[in-house]
Amino acid sequence: MTINKKSFKPVLGFLGMALMLILPSIVLAGVPEPIQKDKLEHGKKVYFKRCVWCHGVEGGGDGPSADRLFTRPRNFIQGTFKIRWTDSGQLPRDIDLETTIKNGLPGSAMPAWGEVLSDTDIKAVVQFVKSLVQDRDFVDEDEDMDLMDFGGHQNGANPWGSVGPYYLGIPDEAITAGKDIFIKNKCFECHGGEGRGDGNPTMKDDWGFPIVAADWQQCWNFRGSRRDAFDPFNIVRTISTGINGTPMPNFREKITPEERWKLAAFVNSLCPRKKIDPLVNKPITDFLIKSKYTKGPVVPNMDDAMWQAPESDNRLPGLERSEEYVTNGGDQYWHYIAMGGQITRGERNFKPKVDNLWVMSRWSEEENAIYYLVEFHNRFLSTDPEFPDGIAMQWPGQLEDLFGAEKPYFIYGDSKKPVDVWKANFMVKDYNPTNAPKAEGYDLDVSVQELVGLGFDAVSEKETPGGVEIVQSKFHQGRVKVMFKRSLTTENPDKTDVQIPVATYIPVSFFQWSGWDKEHDEHMAISTWVYTILEPALPASLNYMPPIMAVAFFGFQMWLVRMTKRTRQMVKDGTWK
Amino acid sequence: MNKTLLSFIVTVGVAVALHFGVKPMFLEGEPTMFINRYAFFLLLVFSVVGINLILRLSPVMTMKAAYIWGLGFYFYNPYQAGTILTPPIPWTLFITYMMLWTIGTFLYISQDRDTFAEFRGPIVKTVTGEYKIARYIVFALLPVMVGWGTYNFIYPSYPEPVELRTVHPAPPATTKVHGKTYALEGLQNPFRVDEQDNYYEGGTQLPVEGKFPFIDAESVEYIKYVTEGGTVFFQNCHYCHGDQLNGLGMFSHVFNPTPANFVDPGTIAMLRESFLFWRVSKGGPGLPNESTPWSSAMPPWEEHLTTEQIWKVVLFEYWYTGWHPRTFDEESSSGGEEGGGGH
Repeated sequence: MTINKKSFKPVLGFLGMALMLILPSIVLAGVPEPIQKDKLEHGKKVYFKRCVWCHGVEGGGDGPSADRLFTRPRNFIQGTFKIRWTDSGQLPRDIDLETTIKNGLPGSAMPAWGEVLSDTDIKAVVQFVKSLVQDRDFVDEDEDMDLMDFGGHQNGANPWGSVGPYYLGIPDEAITAGKDIFIKNKCFECHGGEGRGDGNPTMKDDWGFPIVAADWQQCWNFRGSRRDAFDPFNIVRTISTGINGTPMPNFREKITPEERWKLAAFVNSLCPRKKIDPLVNKPITDFLIKSKYTKGPVVPNMDDAMWQAPESDNRLPGLERSEEYVTNGGDQYWHYIAMGGQITRGERNFKPKVDNLWVMSRWSEEENAIYYLVEFHNRFLSTDPEFPDGIAMQWPGQLEDLFGAEKPYFIYGDSKKPVDVWKANFMVKDYNPTNAPKAEGYDLDVSVQELVGLGFDAVSEKETPGGVEIVQSKFHQGRVKVMFKRSLTTENPDKTDVQIPVATYIPVSFFQWSGWDKEHDEHMAISTWVYTILEPALPASLNYMPPIMAVAFFGFQMWLVRMTKRTRQMVKDGTWK
Repeated sequence: MNKTLLSFIVTVGVAVALHFGVKPMFLEGEPTMFINRYAFFLLLVFSVVGINLILRLSPVMTMKAAYIWGLGFYFYNPYQAGTILTPPIPWTLFITYMMLWTIGTFLYISQDRDTFAEFRGPIVKTVTGEYKIARYIVFALLPVMVGWGTYNFIYPSYPEPVELRTVHPAPPATTKVHGKTYALEGLQNPFRVDEQDNYYEGGTQLPVEGKFPFIDAESVEYIKYVTEGGTVFFQNCHYCHGDQLNGLGMFSHVFNPTPANFVDPGTIAMLRESFLFWRVSKGGPGLPNESTPWSSAMPPWEEHLTTEQIWKVVLFEYWYTGWHPRTFDEESSSGGEEGGGGH
């Protein structure tokens, strides 16, 4: 083995140099690293404790968990590895696999092992994983390994000197140029018109399992994000190397390294900056949805200035709200609500397609009504009327009866504490998932259902609905937008409608159904209970109290001066004792 | 007075230059013995004292007191980027510290009659108007600050509410799973072949070390149950409790309360297997009110798993984390004070 390698190395080295002259996008040509057999015993121990449960006894990606995961665990047998620095179709370097194990694959069930396993463990288990590859040989003389050129910028650096964790300050020219490259190379065919991965519903991986394109606006779910979600290097690497086993090719011949960085700048600019929880590599949920007080009626149009807010978190340094936004009366915030599969009761959902919702709210005293604008990404919507898409808000049905932190059970309530569910079922009009991107979006055919839940198996439609309306709805480039409206108080003859008080923390949660994946009833995505609060108008005392206090204090100062002077006078006169 | 004014300008100048020019260098090099934020603070203190000594400025006592108080404020203040005292302290603690610091400053001022008179002098002169400009500035500024403070005080804010819950509630005396009633006290895991997790081959006791799930499942009974328990775990539980059993599964961030971290010494390591059996069987809805059952995503697993599967998955959790369950102590059984509370 070693003899083989040694005798071939000069030849391959020469070939590599020749290749470098021909193909400027490759920096280093070489051969795969052979398996270090002395580490296999150690690696096996690690593998059979930590990895076997998903990746299987023979590394076929068929462990006990495999059938309940989307995407499925990696099948090692073919030697197809996604995240590498090597050319399309080639085997990975050891360091690529080690980095994957250390950082995990965000957006999948593969966790980061860097804090659990030692470096020695990781190096050993990489060797063991390589030994599970059957269809290819790490010492085969036909196996090449060409390291990709990233325009001279190695891991962590980028042409603009932009730094983590949020990688801001990338020039607009690069982003605009990147958008042209995006259009020219038809990235939208898979990734959709605005990069939400909504281009192609029919893709399969090398094993015939369904696969979807990455959603660029949720970069924390990029498999290769290496726990540094906003780093544009991740994107340049992917464009340069492609993703083995998937329809994602590499573009090293079509796009020069400089242009790849520009494309990365564009892709990177799409991802809203949120604070990422380092433990789970997901944005942190906003547990309180603030409903903004509105003078006069609320404009029921999501394009109105009332409903605009930057998606990035204004609490992050460098992302403070622009003066222009604030002076134009901008007062809104997007609230990020994490979603997960309903895996507790009844028919469980292990593969939810929707990871999060973005929520914004306003209320109007004049109208006595509250509005919630709920948005979420979903690549493909249903075309089967039997399984419409759905989004719902869940409230405690009898808020006034709850004591302290008490709430109904978060999945459709319980027998003692009912919930009030506002559900919007919808089908997209004139839509087919294989359509070309449609810039103006699609209208939705919505029907509202108001449900009473007394447990996941005791959900019924209200006999006297409380008048929930969907005032506007849209499906636009892989994003659903639905605006709920209801009056704060209702007639409520059956005590089934939530009566919404002002300036009170009210529990609320969300359900979502992907009709394309045949989700229905309790087979859905859910959030936990969060709170919402109707912020009252600013108190009038804000206008008169500060000046009153200031004047009063000024009076006190005058009194102090008088007293001090009088005391001094008395000391001088000798009347002070 | 002129010297005091000069001292004020020089001192503030030095402090600002150090804060913006030198502090970032110290923060970058952390954490080393000499290049850290505390070293920077010492440097700041020595610079402030040093520049006044070298220039023989000897400012009036009032100004000295202001420097001392200001340095203390700079040290404790949790509301700046790159706080000196790390981690930043909560504001209640900050107020307490600053009160103590203020008292200390006063002790320094009031060492004797003369220092206190020196301290008081400029203040009285400002109030009585001997320092005319100072009086105008102070008397105009203070009411504005009071007004601003009032505005901030009455401006309504709505922070995220905090909720508390009991993590390990007291278990019931008995629990009924799949139609059979179990008394939790003294209940053992039927699949725990050996107390010390050893196994037996031909009558001799051997450590389980070096035996693998799946591969050795046929030959070693204990490993067989571990494999079966792990299979259940990785089909049902890892979504929340995580592939590493550390409570960081794919859906863990969605739910509140967050799923239990079994690797943590405060969870299964201090509980009995019978407690786990009850918690797994009854899930979130089986919790008492103080544990906020309404938000727990933990399923009542008796709806999805058999009794045997529940015991096996409990066994697996201990095998994977390397913890040993708390056991039932015969001698102190009458006390019943163990394993997450008695009765």
